[in-house]
Amino acid sequence: MNRKELHTIAETWFSNQSWKPFPFQKQTWTSFLQGKNGLLNAPTGSGKTYALWIPIVLEYIKRNPEYRTKHKKGLKAIWITPLRALSVEIKQATERFVQETGVPLTIGIRTGDTSQKERAAQKRAMPDLLITTPESLQLLLASKGYDKTFKEVHAIVIDEWHELLGSKRGVQMELALSRLKTISPALRIWGISATIGNLDQARDVLLGPDSEALQNSVLIKANINKKITVKSIIPKQMETFPWRGHLGLHLLEEVIPIIKKSKTTLLFTNTRAQCEIWFQKLLEKHPEFAGEIAMHHGSINKETRLWVEHAIRDESLRAVVCTSSLDLGVDFAPVETIIQIGGPKGVARFLQRAGRSGHQPGKESVIHFLPTHAIELVEASALQKAVRNQKVEDRIPYLNSFDVLVQYLTTLAVSDGFYPDDIFPEIKSTFCFQSITQQQFRWVLNFLTLGSQSLQNYDEYKKVVIEPDGKFKVHSRAVAMRHRLQIGTIVSDAVLTVKYLKGGFLGSIEEWFVSKLKPGDVFTFAGRNLELFRVKNMQVLVKKSKQKTSKIPSWMGGRMSLSSEMSALLREELYTITSSQSKISKELRALSHIFDRQQKESIVPGPHEFLIETFKTRDGFHAIFYPFEGRFVHEALGSLMAYRISLLLPITFSIAFNDYGFELLSDQQIDMQQVLDNDLFTVQDLKSDLQKSLNATEMAKRKFRDIAVISGLVFTGYPNKLIKSKHLQSGSQLIFDVFKDYEPDNLLYQQAYIETFEHQLEEGRLQLAMERISAQTTVWKACKKATPFSFPIITDRLRAKLSSEKLADRIKRMTAMLEKA
Amino acid sequence: MTVKTQEIVINSQTFILHPTGAAYWKEKDMLLIADVHLGKITHFRKNGSAVPESALYKNFERLDEVLHYFQPETLCFLGDLFHSYLNKEWLLFSEWVRKTTSKIILIAGNHDIISPLRYEELKIQVSSEWLINSILLTHHPEERQGFFNISGHIHPGIRLHGSGKQLLCISCFFKRKHQLILPAFGIFTGKHVLNPEKEDQVFAITTEEVIQVNLH
Repeated sequence: MNRKELHTIAETWFSNQSWKPFPFQKQTWTSFLQGKNGLLNAPTGSGKTYALWIPIVLEYIKRNPEYRTKHKKGLKAIWITPLRALSVEIKQATERFVQETGVPLTIGIRTGDTSQKERAAQKRAMPDLLITTPESLQLLLASKGYDKTFKEVHAIVIDEWHELLGSKRGVQMELALSRLKTISPALRIWGISATIGNLDQARDVLLGPDSEALQNSVLIKANINKKITVKSIIPKQMETFPWRGHLGLHLLEEVIPIIKKSKTTLLFTNTRAQCEIWFQKLLEKHPEFAGEIAMHHGSINKETRLWVEHAIRDESLRAVVCTSSLDLGVDFAPVETIIQIGGPKGVARFLQRAGRSGHQPGKESVIHFLPTHAIELVEASALQKAVRNQKVEDRIPYLNSFDVLVQYLTTLAVSDGFYPDDIFPEIKSTFCFQSITQQQFRWVLNFLTLGSQSLQNYDEYKKVVIEPDGKFKVHSRAVAMRHRLQIGTIVSDAVLTVKYLKGGFLGSIEEWFVSKLKPGDVFTFAGRNLELFRVKNMQVLVKKSKQKTSKIPSWMGGRMSLSSEMSALLREELYTITSSQSKISKELRALSHIFDRQQKESIVPGPHEFLIETFKTRDGFHAIFYPFEGRFVHEALGSLMAYRISLLLPITFSIAFNDYGFELLSDQQIDMQQVLDNDLFTVQDLKSDLQKSLNATEMAKRKFRDIAVISGLVFTGYPNKLIKSKHLQSGSQLIFDVFKDYEPDNLLYQQAYIETFEHQLEEGRLQLAMERISAQTTVWKACKKATPFSFPIITDRLRAKLSSEKLADRIKRMTAMLEKA
Repeated sequence: MTVKTQEIVINSQTFILHPTGAAYWKEKDMLLIADVHLGKITHFRKNGSAVPESALYKNFERLDEVLHYFQPETLCFLGDLFHSYLNKEWLLFSEWVRKTTSKIILIAGNHDIISPLRYEELKIQVSSEWLINSILLTHHPEERQGFFNISGHIHPGIRLHGSGKQLLCISCFFKRKHQLILPAFGIFTGKHVLNPEKEDQVFAITTEEVIQVNLH
């Protein structure tokens, strides 16, 4: 069958549905059938599923002209989705096409939710088309004879590639693809991505830089322009609106008319804790909504989440309070309105969320922005501009993630084993490991087989062994089992299952939160008030509670930073206040009383001014610096400055940062004039000073947690599964300390340092920020008390610390609090 | 390195607290050490977790250091001497025992699952507790009428607060009215934060100093 005939099959089907294919869909069909690889840039709900499933099926028809009567067995194509919640939707869409066109292809799903029984059945006979996640794909690579499974695969599609790209799951995908390219000779690789700043790079990463696959590829843009309107919710009584906070509950009543006016509203929050609180408060203040509003976040059990998703589609819900768990995928046509609570921190994310509403072609998307504190209105104003200019940020791919490489090589050693000489070129062909040296690779191999770089006398390290012919293989069944359980690079704190005493699964919760509770304590979870009965075997057993007041679980990982694009817009916005020429937005006008007060107690900096404020409170001596460069830059700058000052005198700092600036807090006064005289903002020795400040603040310790889990240094086990791991519990922090003292050149340990800043900060962003600052005039204001700008920073409780004092001297000045009787 | 110790008196007996976490009982010429967890690193390595091997020698260096400092007649381990099943670190331990002149006694802890026969081969006496005058030595902290209990097991730590939102978490000796809990001696052991009450005394340890903590 020629291409035209194949197209006719698809177009006939489309017209049977009374649809008309978009130009980008047809373009994708053509390119795919021409044997090309590619990246499709298309938003959710645009018909991207049919852009790629259709040519995959057509390709099968082409290869098997007697497809109606003769069925060729075996796996033919793989669809990767980062969220397993999306898989059902994708399956249904595909089934519809193959059934109605009479192509007898089977479609299967394999994710963490797939039952053991079904997995076993799949192992015996793979479906023709498989929908799966990056982790489940790795698990397939960890099973014996995987090369036969993938031999006839002619297409793999990586959906939502932009989501994977900036994460270690992206690295996992790159490595899997490098393997598949070898074992599936007919493979075509396609990615689907929402709009990001670095689409071309996204294609490079997907296909491999300088690869044959890349040369034979296309970038197709759907170009579906959508009108987006941003509406800020401005408090009526600005004077009583708080200067700090991140919940935004003061404006709860303002969202009620919005919800009432539209069919379905999604309220996006930034953290799961915020999501829980909003859901509860909405019901408390407006009991009439009972049964009409729901909540959706990643810790809630699957059944509830699926129910919520269905209910949105059935138009049976007025509003859903959610987190980024609803950012992706599924097309919810009935959603008319979006409310973003608190700064979205990035333009792409904001646009994506806005895009969840008004799905019908030609309809405009409306997104309301609800600020959680006064200064956030500046952000609202900047967002308006960002949306107008479509300034979208990049997703930065990881480089040299040795933890993922260790995991991947162990995966191969668990299944069929590998020969280093065969595998090295594949690894080096990926974007992540394009610069890996033979020496580094050797290091990783030694790490796998010896657990160190040389053979030791008393050592009993056991993981991967080298067979006589040079094959690297895992022989220990226990090692293999633990590895399979631990595959996956999305790392979270150890999670416990929340269950009713009488049975009934509610969801999962981070261990550190539970550890703060005592039996009898009441906490809110999944929108209910629950009383903790006891914690046993990784299960949190709870009873329903009628008590009103409760603790709200807070989940880590909710902290995001402004992108550099957003930070620049924010600065520009702020500078309009002091400028006489520019027009001031209504958001900023609403803030005028705060700016007046800031001006009175300090200054509102203009484009050529860099503001530093110092003042004393009962907490100690505060020094606040305002670069307006986004949280990540401030984390780096804050520890760098703390380090440089700590060289001048023995001092201890507690460092806080937000998107506007950072604070150095100490129990002694710093001589700011001395700081300025010493030119501490110089870019000279930036790299080595930053490295040293990292050592001092131990910020890398936090990063090491993921690395330790991914590379198999610590064993976490899985929720719901009780793993007998006698005497193998240890925190990654402890291992970090041992590395620090005994093996500081370990690549995994060093990776923690590199990731702390280099990945978070786009290349050179810190340097650019410092150069910008040194071109400004520094204005140091010794203030009498905390200023409006400083308030959100000094009240932040998540802090880093740095000290150049002797530990014993500090202990002598500190106290331990007595248990209250 | 000069170390700064702390002397405390319990039931008119004198104990010297050492920065390594060991406590020396002057009148009995006996050194008390809790929770060394020998073999832990090897146990991890045996199971595929590449904790640096060179770290395991540190425990023996520390043992030598503190033995050299006090030169006690008796060395009493208050449990969790060996972390798990027998592994090659046992050979290092055996060698170390043969070189040691002090008499060694082990009060077995929950981690001590190696057969007592093995210890007897090394002339180490194993028991579940030890009563000396009014002092009761155990692994798990316990309260017994008429006795002062010295134990380990908890790996006590203390959280300190200071001006300028300073926070520290440090290993410590934790003394209650009738109890003294020793910090974990071994490296790679971790700690568990305890909250002191009014009559408690807490002694934080740094690499070279034992410091009594201010409580309020």
